[in-house]
Amino acid sequence: QEHQDLLARREVIQKKKESAATAQAARLREEEQRKKVRQQELLAAESERLAQEAKDRDERRVQAERKRVQREETEKQLNELKKGVKGVDVSNIDIDDLDTNRIRMLKLQALEREKNELNDKLRVTGKRIDHLERAYRREEIKHLAEDYAA
Amino acid sequence: MAPSFEQLDPDLDLEDEEIDFSDLREQYEVRMEEGLDAFVVVDGLPKVTPEQKDKLVKFLLRKLTTAGKTTQDNVYMPMNEEGNMSEGFAFVEYETPAQAAAAIKALHGTALDKKHTIAVNKLTDIERYGREGRIEEDYTAPEIPEFHEKEHLRWWLGDPEGRDQFAIYRADNVGVFWNEREDQPEPIVDRLNWTESFVQWSPKGTYLTSVHAQGTQLWGGPTWSRQKRFMHPGVNLVDFSPDERYLTTWSHQPMQVDENHATLTIEEDGKNYIIWDIATGKPLRSFVTLDPPGPRTDTEGNPIKKKLQWPAFKWSADSKYVARMNHGQSVSVYELPRMNLMDKQSVKIEGIVDFEWSPTNPQRDNVRDYEQLFCYWTPEMGSNPAKVGLMSIPSKEVVRTRNLFNVSDAKLHWQSDSAFVCVKVDRHSKSKKSLATNLEIFRVREKGVPVEVVDNIKDTVINFAWEPKGDRFVLITAGEVAVGSAVPPKTAVSFYCPEKAKGTAVGNFKLIRTVEKKNNNAIHWSPSGRFVLVATVLNQASFDLDFWDFDFEGEKEEKEKDLTANLQLMSTQEHYGVTDIEWDPSGRFVATSASVWKHRADNGYKLYTFSGQQLREESLENFKQWAWRPRPERLLSKEEMKNVRKNLREYSRAFEEADSAKRSSADKAVVEGRRRQLEEWLAWREQVVEELVEERRE
Amino acid sequence: MRPILLSGHERALTQVKFSKEGDFIFSVSKDHNVCAWYSANGERFGMYKGHQGALWSVDVDPTTTFLATGGADNTMRLWEVKTGKQLKQWEFPTSIRRVEFSEDGKLLLGVTEKRTGQLSNIYVYDIAQDVNAEQSDEPTLRIVVDELPRVTVAGFSYLNRYIITGHENGCVAQWDAKTGEMIADEYPHEDGASVTDLQWSADRTYFITSSKDKTAKLQDARTLKVLHTYVADTPLNSAAITPEPTNYVILGGGQAAMDVTTTSARQGKFEARFYHKIFEEEVGRVRGHFGPLNYVAVSPDGKCYCSGGEDGYVRVHHFDPPYFDFK
Repeated sequence: QEHQDLLARREVIQKKKESAATAQAARLREEEQRKKVRQQELLAAESERLAQEAKDRDERRVQAERKRVQREETEKQLNELKKGVKGVDVSNIDIDDLDTNRIRMLKLQALEREKNELNDKLRVTGKRIDHLERAYRREEIKHLAEDYAA
Repeated sequence: MAPSFEQLDPDLDLEDEEIDFSDLREQYEVRMEEGLDAFVVVDGLPKVTPEQKDKLVKFLLRKLTTAGKTTQDNVYMPMNEEGNMSEGFAFVEYETPAQAAAAIKALHGTALDKKHTIAVNKLTDIERYGREGRIEEDYTAPEIPEFHEKEHLRWWLGDPEGRDQFAIYRADNVGVFWNEREDQPEPIVDRLNWTESFVQWSPKGTYLTSVHAQGTQLWGGPTWSRQKRFMHPGVNLVDFSPDERYLTTWSHQPMQVDENHATLTIEEDGKNYIIWDIATGKPLRSFVTLDPPGPRTDTEGNPIKKKLQWPAFKWSADSKYVARMNHGQSVSVYELPRMNLMDKQSVKIEGIVDFEWSPTNPQRDNVRDYEQLFCYWTPEMGSNPAKVGLMSIPSKEVVRTRNLFNVSDAKLHWQSDSAFVCVKVDRHSKSKKSLATNLEIFRVREKGVPVEVVDNIKDTVINFAWEPKGDRFVLITAGEVAVGSAVPPKTAVSFYCPEKAKGTAVGNFKLIRTVEKKNNNAIHWSPSGRFVLVATVLNQASFDLDFWDFDFEGEKEEKEKDLTANLQLMSTQEHYGVTDIEWDPSGRFVATSASVWKHRADNGYKLYTFSGQQLREESLENFKQWAWRPRPERLLSKEEMKNVRKNLREYSRAFEEADSAKRSSADKAVVEGRRRQLEEWLAWREQVVEELVEERRE
Repeated sequence: MRPILLSGHERALTQVKFSKEGDFIFSVSKDHNVCAWYSANGERFGMYKGHQGALWSVDVDPTTTFLATGGADNTMRLWEVKTGKQLKQWEFPTSIRRVEFSEDGKLLLGVTEKRTGQLSNIYVYDIAQDVNAEQSDEPTLRIVVDELPRVTVAGFSYLNRYIITGHENGCVAQWDAKTGEMIADEYPHEDGASVTDLQWSADRTYFITSSKDKTAKLQDARTLKVLHTYVADTPLNSAAITPEPTNYVILGGGQAAMDVTTTSARQGKFEARFYHKIFEEEVGRVRGHFGPLNYVAVSPDGKCYCSGGEDGYVRVHHFDPPYFDFK
C-alpha cells in the first residue's frame, strides 16, 4: 500500500515535475517569443527612424537645391534687368529679399521709366525739328519776292 | 488759323479777283508824275464793317511794308455811302515814289489770303485811265492766259505758318489741303474729276499733274489754274526732269497722229514716248518703246508679260542729259534742250543690264571739269566676269570698273549726295543653288574711287535704302520661301553705319544691329535722314510700322561707341491694310494710306509724327492716293541757316506762343459753337414742348 | 457693367423693343421666333408661337398688354403679352416689314412689302383695349404708296397726327394719319441709300432715321427738317434716341458679311456707336457682336440699351453711373 502510495506520489511528483518542466519550457518559449517580437519591433522602429532621417535629409537637400535654383534665377533676372533695361539701380538691393514678382515689378517700373524717358526725349527732339523747319521757312518767305521776280 | 478774312463775310463778292488790269500794267512803268507818284491803289480787298476796318488795315500793312515804308496813318480805306461797309479798296502813300513802284512790282496780283488776290496800281494811272473813261463800268472777265504769267507759282511757300500741302485723290475728287497735324486739314481746293487716273506733283512741287485719256495737264498758282496741257492720247505715265523744265509722257499704245492735230505732228506717229519742253508746251522728240530683253512668248507660245522699266528715260541730275538703255547693247545719251543724240551715236556697253545717273552733280576727287556720272553693270559673258562701271559724261570715259563673279543679279543704289553708290550683288554658289548678297560700295568722292565690300550676307536682300543726305543704310533680308507655303518668309532688318573716323573721312561700314523674325518689307527714310520707317506693306496678315531713330539723343551702349549712330526703336504702330507710305518734305510727318487701287478694306489714311505718334486717322470712301507737295531747295544761304540755328530759342518761343494761341482760339471756337448748338436745341425743344402741351389740351 | 447676353435665337435678330417700363425686351428673328425677356437678368419670360416665316418687326403697346409682330409669312399678329395667347391674325398678299403702335396704343400700323404686282401699303387698325374683345378685321386706313418707292419703315407721330415713312431710296415722307394723304416728302439721305430705321423721341415730336449712306439724321416730325446729322463709317441699320435728360443717339450697323473682304470683326465695324445728340460728335463705342447690328433700342427709362445682331444674339447693357454724369 505504502508502495502503492509512494508510487503514486512519485508519479504525482513526476507529473508535477513534468508539468512544471512543460510550463517552464512554455514560459521560456513565450519569453523567447516576446523577446523576438520586441526585437522585431525595435528593428522596425530603427529602420523607420533611419528612413525618416533619410527622408528629412532628402527634403532638406531638395529645399536647398530649390533655394539655390531660385536664387540663381533671381540673380539671372536681376542681371538681365541690369543689362537689358537701362537705369535700374540694383546696387543696394539684397538679393535674398527678392522674389521673382518683385523683380518683375522692378522691371516693369524700369520699362515704364524708360518709356517715359524715351517719350520725353522724343518730344524735345520733335519740337526742335519742328521749330527749326518753321524758322527756316519763315526766313525763306523774305526771299520769295525775289524768287518771283527772277 | 491762317490770317484770313473769310470769316468776315462768307458771301463776299469775289469777282474782283478776276478783274484784268493787264492793260494798266503795261503802262505803269512809263509814267512818272508829280507828287501823287508815291500813292498806290490797292484793290481786291475784302469788304469790311467799320469795326473790322482797323484789323484789315493792320493785316494789309504787314504785306505793304514788305515792299516799302508806310504807316497806318497813310492807309485810307474809303467806306460806302451808308458808311457800314468798306468799298474793297484802299489808297496807300509810301515814303517815296520808288517804294510805291517797288510795291506795285512786288505785290500786284499776289494773294492777301487764300480768297483775296490784291491788285496794286499807281494812283496816277487809275486817275488817268479813270478820267479818260477807259475803265468800263461793267468789268469784263479777264482772259485766262494772261493771268497765268502773273500767278506766283511758288506762292504756297509763303504760308505764314510754314505748313505743307498734300493732295488727296478719293472717289472722283482731288483735293489739296494744308496739313494741320492732328486737326482737320484745311481745304485749299477740291475739284470733281480733276484727273482721270492719278495725280502727280512735279519734283519741286510747282505743278500738280493730272492724267487724262487725251493727255496730261499741269496746274498751279494760287488759283490752281491750268498752266500747261500736253496732248498725248492714251498716256499712262509721266515723268519730270529734276529741274521741271521737261516732261516725259508715255503710253503703252503707239500714237496715231493725223495731220490736223494741234500740237503733235507726223513725227510723233507710232511713238510711245514724248519728251516735252514745258515752257513752250511743244514736243522735243518722241520715241517708241524698246522691247525688253528675253523671248516674247513662253514655250507654249503665250505672250510673256514683261515688267516695264520706268522711267526708261533717265535724267542726269542737272537735266542736261537724258539717257535710255538699249538692253544688252548701249546707252543713248541725249543732250538738252535740243534732244540730239550725243556725239551722234549711242554709247556701246556690251551686255548692259541697268544704269543709274548720279542723283546730284558728282564731286570726284581732283576732278575739276564738268561731268555727270552714271553707274552701270554687265553680267558674266563667256569667260569674262560681270562688271560694274562708272562712266563720265560727256567724255564717255569709264572712270572705274570692278569685276565680279558668280553674279545672278545686281541693283544699283546711289546715295542722295552721290557720295556713294552701293551695288547690291546677288551671288550664287558654283552649284547655282544657294544665294548670298554682297554689297559693293563705291566711295565716289574718294581718291581712285575705292570699293568697300561690306559683308557676306546670307539670305536674299529684298530691300536696301541709303539714308538721304547721310551715310547710313538699312537692308531687309528674307529667308527661303518654304515650298508650298502661302505665307511670305520671315524677314530680318539690318542697320548699318560707318565707324568713327578722323576728320571728315567716312569710316568702314559696320552692322549696328539685326532684328530677326520680322515681316517688314519696306524701308522709308525721312527725306532729311536720321529717321527711318521700316514697314510691312501690301501684306494680308501683318501691317506693322517700326519707327527708328539713328541718332537717339540718349545713352549709348558701350559696345557701339565707335559707331556713328545711336540706334533706337521709337515706337511700333499698326495700320491695317497699309499700301503706301509717304514722308512730308520736311521729315516731320509721315502719311500711311490704304488705297482702293490695291484692296477695298478700310481705305483711308493715317498721319504720324516722325516718331510714330499718331496724329490723325481718317477713313475715306474710295480713297486712292495721298501725295505730299514737294518743296524746292531752300532759298536760304548757309549763313542765313546758321543764323536761324543760332537764334532758334527765340523762334521757338514765338512758335510756342503762336501754337498755344491757335489752340486756345480753336478751343474757344469749339466751346462757342457748342454753346450755340445747345442754345438752339433748347430753344427749339422749349417751343415744341409748349406747343405740344397746348395741342394735347385741345 | 458686363453686358447680359440673351441667347435663344438661332438666326439673325431683326428687331428688339423695350416695354414702356423698360422691364421687358421683346425680340424677333429670322428663326420665326418671338421672345420676351426680363431686361434685368436676361431670363426668358416666354415665347409667342405661331409664325411660319422669318420675322421682320415687333412692337409692344404702352401698357405692355398687347404685342404686335409681322413677318415673311404674310401675317401680322396680335398677342397677349402676359399669356402668349394669339388674339388676332391679319393676312396680307405680301410680307409685313414693319409694325408699330401709336403712342396711345389705340392704333396699330403694318407696312407691307412691295413685290411684283403689289405696291407697298400701310394698313392702320383700331385696337380694342381689351384682351377679350374681338379685334377688327378691316383697317381704318389704308395708304397705297404708289408715288414713292418701297416703304422700309413707318411710325406714328405725336397725337397720331402724322405717319412718317422711310423709303428704300433715302426718302422720308409725312402723311396725314387721318386721311392718308401725303403732306410732304424730303430726301435727307443720299439718293438710293435705303432708310433702314426710324425711331422716335419720347414725346414723338422728333425722330431719327438711319441709312445705308452711313449717316443718321435727327428730324422734326412736323417740318421734316433735319436738326442734326451723325456721320458713321459704316452702313447703318438702326438708330435710337436716348430719353432726355441724356442727349445721346445710339447707332448700329456694320458691313454685311458678303461685303467684307476679311472676316475679322474689327473690319466689319460691328459696334454700337454713341453720339452726342446735339454736338453730333462720337463719344464712344461698344463692341461685342460678331456680325452687323441689325437693331438698337434704348429702354424708355434710359437705364439700359440693347442691340440685336446678325450673329443671333441680343446684348443688353445697363449703363454705368458715369454715363449719366455727362450731359
